[in-house]
Amino acid sequence: MITTMSLRDSLLDSAKEVFETMAFMALEEVHEDQEAPRLEDETLLGTITFKGSLEGCLAICCGCHCARTIGANMLGADPDEPMSDDEMSDAIGEVANMVMGALKARVQDEVGTMEVSIPSVVRGRELRNSLGDRASKITVTVNLEEEHSVQFSLLYRESGD
Amino acid sequence: MGKSLMIVDDSATMRKIIMRTVRMSGLEFDRTEEAGSGVEALQKLEGGPVDVILCDINMPEMNGTELVKKARELASCSGTKIVMVSTESAQDLIDQVMSDGADGYITKPFTPEKFQEKLAPLLN
Repeated sequence: MITTMSLRDSLLDSAKEVFETMAFMALEEVHEDQEAPRLEDETLLGTITFKGSLEGCLAICCGCHCARTIGANMLGADPDEPMSDDEMSDAIGEVANMVMGALKARVQDEVGTMEVSIPSVVRGRELRNSLGDRASKITVTVNLEEEHSVQFSLLYRESGD
Repeated sequence: MGKSLMIVDDSATMRKIIMRTVRMSGLEFDRTEEAGSGVEALQKLEGGPVDVILCDINMPEMNGTELVKKARELASCSGTKIVMVSTESAQDLIDQVMSDGADGYITKPFTPEKFQEKLAPLLN
């Protein structure tokens, strides 16, 4: 069975691949003994669910200013140009979708087929997601361009099927 | 005569990113259009074919694999090259969609070089 550590490494590698390739942005993991830039008060939470022998949810959480910067980089636009809430949410949903795809490519030999949903994005303060009892959670906090804090999390459990 | 391109993806942001990446790849199209779903793409294709379709797989209403099958039933699309652009990387799914009538497959995340590699041979 896949280990928590290898899932964690795969999640971080997948996030790096997506940000470097699609947003042209470098990210560095923030370790427990390091201080991360503070997460903004109002955040976007992009989630995508998966099912198979492992079932759960991958999430990306970042502040609205950070989301606007990510979206602008993905589109090759000026970060100061106006971006609608829909565009900002769409960009974060696509990041969640691509990180999930990259993660799936890395782990599917070990965990088998993973059926993935369409991403969804919510906006608010102190957003949390939960999968109830029996679920494990991996959280990776990264420093984006030494300016923004972004959290990736993977909630998962073995399917009862 | 110039080539035409249709990008089919339910994410407007992803359609813009794909359009930008096509431009960065150096490939040139005289006419480009977009569709937000397989249903919208099919309606547009019934009005007139395009040379190349870049198509997502996971979409609401009609997904990309269904669109490929239906597009191949249209006589006007017999010469259209369809390349899937998706986060899905399972080989059995890729094999299935290629046997359904797709001409190529690009996984997300992608680079301009990947578009050049996969699309240029189809345009000649």
